Amino acid sequence: MNLDDALHTFIAESLELLQQMEEALLHIEQAPDDPDTINAIFRAAHTIKGSAGLFGLDGIVAFTHVAESVLDLVRAGRLHFTEELAALFLQVCDHIGVLVKRAAEHREPEDSVRQNGTHLLEWLNGLLDDDPARDATAQPPATCPAETTANVERAADTVGTDHWHISLRFGQDLLRNGMDPLAFVRYLATLGRVQHIVTLTDSLPGADDMDPESCYLGFEIAFRSDADKATLEDVFEFVRDDSLIRILPPHSRTAEYQQLIQALPEDDMRLGEILVRCGTLTEAELAEVLRSQAHDVPAAPVGQLLVEQGIVHPPVVEAALKKQQQAKENRQAANNLIRVDAGKLDQLIDLIGELIIAGAGASLVAQRAGNGELMEATALLSRLVEEVRDSALTLRMVQIGSTFNRFQRVVRDVAKELGKDIRLDISGGETELDKTLVEKIGDPLTHLVRNAMDHGIEPAEARLARGKPAQGLLRLNAYHESGSIVIEVADDGGGLNRERILRKAIERSLVAEGAALSDAEILNLIFEPGFSTAEQISNLSGRGVGMDVVKRNIAALRGSIELDSTEGLGTTVRIRLPLTLAIIDGFLVGVGNAAYVVPQDLVVECIELDCEGGHDYLNLRGEVLPFIRLRNLFDIEGAPPRRQNVVIVQFGGLRAGLVVDQLMGEFQTVIKPLGKVFGRIRGIGGFTILGSGEVALILDVAGLIQHLASQRHEAHPHTFLKESL
Amino acid sequence: MAKTIMIVDDSASLRQVVSIALKGAGYDTVEACDGKDALSKLDGRKLHLIISDVNMPNMDGLSFVRAAKQLPAYKFTPVIMLTTEVSDAKKQEGQAAGAKAWVVKPFQPAQMLAAVSKLVLP
Amino acid sequence: MTHNPARLLSVAGELTIYTASEWKPRLLAPLLEGEHLELDLGAVQELDTAGLQLLLLAKKEARARGLTLLFCNHSPAALEAIELCGLAGFFGDPVLLSPTGP
Repeated sequence: MNLDDALHTFIAESLELLQQMEEALLHIEQAPDDPDTINAIFRAAHTIKGSAGLFGLDGIVAFTHVAESVLDLVRAGRLHFTEELAALFLQVCDHIGVLVKRAAEHREPEDSVRQNGTHLLEWLNGLLDDDPARDATAQPPATCPAETTANVERAADTVGTDHWHISLRFGQDLLRNGMDPLAFVRYLATLGRVQHIVTLTDSLPGADDMDPESCYLGFEIAFRSDADKATLEDVFEFVRDDSLIRILPPHSRTAEYQQLIQALPEDDMRLGEILVRCGTLTEAELAEVLRSQAHDVPAAPVGQLLVEQGIVHPPVVEAALKKQQQAKENRQAANNLIRVDAGKLDQLIDLIGELIIAGAGASLVAQRAGNGELMEATALLSRLVEEVRDSALTLRMVQIGSTFNRFQRVVRDVAKELGKDIRLDISGGETELDKTLVEKIGDPLTHLVRNAMDHGIEPAEARLARGKPAQGLLRLNAYHESGSIVIEVADDGGGLNRERILRKAIERSLVAEGAALSDAEILNLIFEPGFSTAEQISNLSGRGVGMDVVKRNIAALRGSIELDSTEGLGTTVRIRLPLTLAIIDGFLVGVGNAAYVVPQDLVVECIELDCEGGHDYLNLRGEVLPFIRLRNLFDIEGAPPRRQNVVIVQFGGLRAGLVVDQLMGEFQTVIKPLGKVFGRIRGIGGFTILGSGEVALILDVAGLIQHLASQRHEAHPHTFLKESL
Repeated sequence: MAKTIMIVDDSASLRQVVSIALKGAGYDTVEACDGKDALSKLDGRKLHLIISDVNMPNMDGLSFVRAAKQLPAYKFTPVIMLTTEVSDAKKQEGQAAGAKAWVVKPFQPAQMLAAVSKLVLP
Repeated sequence: MTHNPARLLSVAGELTIYTASEWKPRLLAPLLEGEHLELDLGAVQELDTAGLQLLLLAKKEARARGLTLLFCNHSPAALEAIELCGLAGFFGDPVLLSPTGP
């Protein structure tokens, strides 16, 4: 652990806090006075400021300080979270985020960022200035009355000593509060040299009255040091409030010693002697001090002096102990969590992958050896390894809720931009999925959400005319279904017009004129490349990204996307994703000496290849199906066996066949990514190691089908590829 | 034997930096992320000082200090409260709870080290 | 001044705010019973203001009763605290144990 590591922690934690702040800010509009929410916002600023200071990130400290001051007004109920204030703080939140990111990059913020900061500060300071109670509260705490520091030139009435004199009388409760006067003396000794110290026991009562937990001691200290007065005063900063502390610089004036002697509770003569013993005063100087004191008749009683000088113990304020605040149990369970480097987790999963492979190898050996006992043992081992794998995989699982919550902001901003009133409804936030997926699903989801708001939900007038509430509703939902996670983006807008889609698809030559398509087929045309039209491209959704890109992104995650729409009532887009990317159920096939893995969930059926000719399509129960000969695709030497098999795969509504030599059965496998060199080989998505130690390539079915589709498309548009929905 | 100091703050980076500074000066440290966590770590071990934030989730710093002062082993353990609040009411509440030493955030590691040294030298 | 043999008492562990309430009666008991006291500080691991105060109290009490209170075998921790407060002479020099006030 070093400071760099700590800085990384700071960056990560700040970004997390800012996200919480943003969520709270979006929530605050519904509940403007909720103290928990306000406190959450405050705490984010407070914590970031506190930690930033430790790293010397003064820019962040200065900015968050002002933000925090404004939030403090809100906490005190002097300012309320209006829509404007929430909007301002969303910008503040963003700005702090930028500052933190610049700190992470060890870069100074660029001019535009600085200008934005200045602009926000003006706004925030304006709020502070408007606060009527400000003058009473925002004053810097009154500093201790500055006493004259060491006079360089000795005036006539100063004493000769060149050391400081420190008089200490402690409050009785000091020890009970955990403070030890000895500790202060020890610390003092680190700032200079204690020339002489006298411990005063004058206020120590008799045995009966003495409370062993009260403090009765006092000290007179002659101290030699180059430190300045403020530094020495600071030594006692924690006890200043209920102790009597007097610090006289070297060569103070006689009158000041006189005042000191008067101020201290002990007898004047005795104090004088102590000062002489300390070497602070000479006998002659003491005589002078005491003589001048005698002139000042009538001398005010010591008590009164103390009051005048404001150095009597302030009455101990027994603040009524407020009821202990109920611990907020519903706080995010985050505090019971351990933060683990994702890299370590990946490493663990990788190792477990190796373990599975090694286990499979052991089973294979056991089978070959025909040793029953050994086979039983390896079977048990495999089962346990699988359990370990499953629980390790759950470590990577995160709730989708925080991803969903991020859309509160998107929806809010986009709705304002569009001039629509749209509410976001989130459900199923606790549904878990692989962390890698969470990171990758953000962009497609954003596109779908923007699309739904822009094209799905109608303007208020149109809604009212259709008898719907003026406020549009966007719904994000997630749930688990048979080994997949399903994410829904639903709107209660106008729905899709099938005729218009069909017309457009025909215009763009995506389907043949007069083709008979089912409703679902028509709807899914919007995912076709080239479907998005200029007519549709608006400022928001038309950022050069069409629905086809969304579909491709989802497909790259081995997921699928489908669409449901009822005209007039709304549209639901359903994304189906595997729970994890790391491990798949595979179907092992062999070509020549090589083994390949096809993801099990993409396999529809297997049939024997009965066509001997050179076609590369087959007739499957009346359906024309193209196929790929893996032997040709991968240039495998040797003659094919007499009987070949076809594995029918389906992806994204398209089917195709893969011609292989052997079917070798189901097999669970860990996907290992290919190195960069092999990363672009068409048709290969990764590799895995078989129990026998051999390498098997994992086929990228999506890529193969797409490739096939484009080839076919060029050669014979609108034929061959069978849409199978 | 090195003196042990507990650092209670919901900011992991703050805990880390303070801990690095204190360890560098020769102290041992224990970290806790909020009052509740801190309380669970008051298991009888010898603590020479507690540094605690005020505003924390689950259990705030003042509630924690009040609870700690109820435990015989920590009744007299000195406490430094970390705060950005200048509110007198908060401070008085803290004083009543037995927290006399306050360090205002943000601070530099050296400032924290100086504050700690006034109460406990390594 | 009596010539009874002094009672021997060893202080072990920490003589601090945590244990002061416990030690106060134990330290004073012999004095209240009129016995001289020899206090072995050899096993004192920690001595703070509260502990120091108790030793000072015992000293005052002994003096008031005309009894001898002797501190011996100071441990390093005890010595450090005593010296820090400029009380070395006070605790170490038997001359100071005469019942004349400072």
